Amino acid sequence: MTYHGTMIKRFITAGAFAALSTTALTGMAQAQDLRMTVWTGSEAHLDMLNGIAAAFAEDHPGVTVSFETVPFADYVQKITLQLAGGNAPDMGWLLETSAPTFVQAGVLAEIGETLRGTEGYDFDDLSQPAMGLWQEGDDVYGVPFSTSPFIIYYNASMYDAAGLEHPDVLAANGEWTWEVLAEQAATLTDPANGVYGFQSVDGEGYGSRAMHTLIPIIRAYGGDAWSEDGTCGFASPEAVEAATLYHDMIYGTEAAVPPGEQGDFFTGNAALTMTQISRVSKLDGVDFDWGIAPLPSGPAGDVGVVGQAAVVAFANAPHPELAAEFIAFMTNAENTATMSAFFPPARASVLSSDDYLSSNPAVTPEQMQIVAGGIETGKVLPDHPAYPQIEAAMRPAFDALWQPDADPQAAMDGLCAAIEPLL
Amino acid sequence: MRQHSPLVRACWYVGLALFAVPFVFPFLWMLSGAIKAPAEIFDTARLIPREPRWGNYLEVFAYQPFARQYFNSLYIAVTVTALTLLISSLAGYALARIRFAGAALLLIVLVSALMMPEEVTIIPNFFLMRDLGLMNTHAPLILLPLFGSQGVMATFLMRQYFTALPKELEEAGRMDGLSRLGIFWKIALPMSKPALAAVAIITFLFSWNLFLEPLVFLSDLKLFTLPLALSNFTDAYGLPLWHLQLAATSLAVVPILVVYVAAQRQIVESFALSGVKG
Amino acid sequence: MTADTSRPAGWLTLRRREALTGWLFVSPLTLGFAIFFVGPLVAVFGYSLTEWNLLTQQSSWVGMANYTDALTRNPDFWKVLKNSLVFAAGLVPLNIAMALGLALALARPFRGAIFFRTVFFAPMVTAAVAWAIVWRFLLQGESGAVNQALALIGIDGPNWLRSPEWAMAAVIVTRVLKTVGLNMILFIAALQSIPRDYEEAARLEGASALQIFRRITWPLLAPTTLVITVITVVGSLKVFDHIYLMTGGGPENGTLVLAYYIYEQGFEFFDVGYAAALAVILFGLILVLTLAQFALRGRSA
Repeated sequence: MTYHGTMIKRFITAGAFAALSTTALTGMAQAQDLRMTVWTGSEAHLDMLNGIAAAFAEDHPGVTVSFETVPFADYVQKITLQLAGGNAPDMGWLLETSAPTFVQAGVLAEIGETLRGTEGYDFDDLSQPAMGLWQEGDDVYGVPFSTSPFIIYYNASMYDAAGLEHPDVLAANGEWTWEVLAEQAATLTDPANGVYGFQSVDGEGYGSRAMHTLIPIIRAYGGDAWSEDGTCGFASPEAVEAATLYHDMIYGTEAAVPPGEQGDFFTGNAALTMTQISRVSKLDGVDFDWGIAPLPSGPAGDVGVVGQAAVVAFANAPHPELAAEFIAFMTNAENTATMSAFFPPARASVLSSDDYLSSNPAVTPEQMQIVAGGIETGKVLPDHPAYPQIEAAMRPAFDALWQPDADPQAAMDGLCAAIEPLL
Repeated sequence: MRQHSPLVRACWYVGLALFAVPFVFPFLWMLSGAIKAPAEIFDTARLIPREPRWGNYLEVFAYQPFARQYFNSLYIAVTVTALTLLISSLAGYALARIRFAGAALLLIVLVSALMMPEEVTIIPNFFLMRDLGLMNTHAPLILLPLFGSQGVMATFLMRQYFTALPKELEEAGRMDGLSRLGIFWKIALPMSKPALAAVAIITFLFSWNLFLEPLVFLSDLKLFTLPLALSNFTDAYGLPLWHLQLAATSLAVVPILVVYVAAQRQIVESFALSGVKG
Repeated sequence: MTADTSRPAGWLTLRRREALTGWLFVSPLTLGFAIFFVGPLVAVFGYSLTEWNLLTQQSSWVGMANYTDALTRNPDFWKVLKNSLVFAAGLVPLNIAMALGLALALARPFRGAIFFRTVFFAPMVTAAVAWAIVWRFLLQGESGAVNQALALIGIDGPNWLRSPEWAMAAVIVTRVLKTVGLNMILFIAALQSIPRDYEEAARLEGASALQIFRRITWPLLAPTTLVITVITVVGSLKVFDHIYLMTGGGPENGTLVLAYYIYEQGFEFFDVGYAAALAVILFGLILVLTLAQFALRGRSA
């Protein structure tokens, strides 16, 4: 073949390719697939999410939304690897502890303009305290879909067998304190039958969820993890008193499930547990009676603690604007009401509605009031831009606290020494 | 043994059996836990559950795309093994039999890589795979073992074996007009079945067990491989589902164990070959 | 050679053709090796001189700061290095002693020898993840099978994986159980290649079993022992999944080893530069060990 002929052939090929790819591109513009990472693999959750996605697609022809389950334990890490790996999802769930890290890293898309510009969205209905972590000035980087207070579950059958007053009754009388809880837990402990008095958060309360275990107690005693100005609060007398109380529950009265042991409330092996309302689904079909109560109070009074999760859009993803529209849709009043069956909402109008109070068939409206009350008074778990590093620095220090012969003051001093350089 | 009294012999067997307990018991415990209710798992005294829950095995498939993950592990391991056999035996043959400039240097470079763990290069490889657009695909799980220390080990093993083969047969092949490729394919390779089997078994198990690479490169559950899937039996709140984890672990372990017991002699010899020569 | 000179003269002499064939044969491996091993290895040196955040993707040149950080400022580094060495120092002798003991017991054919070899080797073909998962259960504080067994003989076992004193030992022993089968097989292969006559002759001269072992078997095993030692040492330095699943590096960072530390710094704290510096240190450590092996081998040969 001559040189000339080769060139012509190349031009033709190139032209054909160009034509093909243009059609492909225009085709793409109409069919867009949004990808959202979530940490739930629950069928019920995913059905609900897919329902919302289908409704969104009705107004946005050609748009599909797919949900990708990323395991909870590695969630932040996997998301980061996707972002760094140039494979960013369009949207995702994010926990409160990750909020400052992600907001400050600039990897989240600003969605405030879209939210405020969406007709009928009613941005101001979103509870302001709940939005705190996700806003910088007027810029909005996420909308909480779950503002879930920590509450106490108790095994009513065990309580009745022991003839003890139920925690929700005590709470109504203002007598529900951590000391009472510790006492009742000790009474209800029954080693012969493999029953513990108290299980900390999900049985994971010593490792990844140590903060969930300790912060509610520490705050009830008037302390906190750290303050805005970067002072560590773990070594304060209040925090140490709280830590001592819990350490004594593990190794003194042996009422609390110790580290590395199994004693699950939801299988009837613990009389009390502290966790969030969403775990109520695990009580489906259990062979004991149960109830829920607010967190016990302490010297500092009633202190609620809230765990939060928001939906965010990622800046470097393929369709940030469309993603913002989807978030506006997903967190509007109607869909928030739908999602509130599983996730306590951050919308004032939904929270106070009768529909919400009766949204979960397993939970009575009175019990739901406890949840709603927890949201109103609750303070979000501690957060920090350097949270991943702080969490890692805390891990060995918490390990020291969970030793049988640990001195809580020394352990908490060690904890502060470990994290102070990072605060 | 012959000359010992029955008493000594009995003690001998009892001693060995006792020593075998920590090797055997974990498997029994795993199989037992796999058919227990979650609350019953820690009742170690009762290895046979009151009511065996065979349904745990089915539930495994409902909780994760476990069949798909099983298939992923299988096809990746087979692919890695096949490609390693091809590429490493070609290179091993050349390094053993063909004289070419740079061969000695290449061998030294490869040998120094023999012991390098993947942790050393995992970070640059992360960015490399990103730039190649291979994040969240199985390609890194195939490419890295193939060309990392595992591939080098296979090459080295093949080279050692080819070096020890008698040259006369190849000379004969050359007289018959066979090309190098022909000699390699028709003469050298068929004579190397023990080494090929060793490489195949070692490579397969290496790929089958791979953990760090899937952990770093995969985020989609449907793409997970078995080791990653096994460590991931948690519910929507990140809480472990022990009974399912143990059922899944049993499903992952037992077939390999069965193959191992069936091909015990061959597998053990392969490992012996790999270690002493390597 | 002579046959070939009769061929038509061309640039492709036999020698050149051989060389070309050689390179063609090694090219797939060499190319892949260059791209996926040598390249990244060079890159990791470069990365180690930067401060690079995986999340924000911002990087800047910091020279040797990551190394000085590791060596002088970060107390974790020395702890991690110590852990890695303790892990190796605990695992290697235990593994080799146990492997040799089992090999001596099982090298000679007797009824059941094959069965026991199969048993001791079985964990080797079991996924490390599976082995770690099951042992994590067995080692639980009160309800774990190990402590329940100990309780039968009146011993109150510790909370193995949560106790700073015991976690490392527990991780080492379970790892040895997982891998000792391989070394056992290697020793058996070596033992079986020792001619019987040597031992028979010594026995006739009245040597005890211990003397035979010390004077004959052990010296003849030396090359195998050396190879096994190096493989085991290096294997112990790259252990990752076992620790990741059993202790996650805890308690109190007591089982945090170098390979895991690299992963943690790079992929959990997003500190790419520091992780790369750690990778370079691991590289150096293993290179020294590998070279030492060849030096020793050369001397013994």
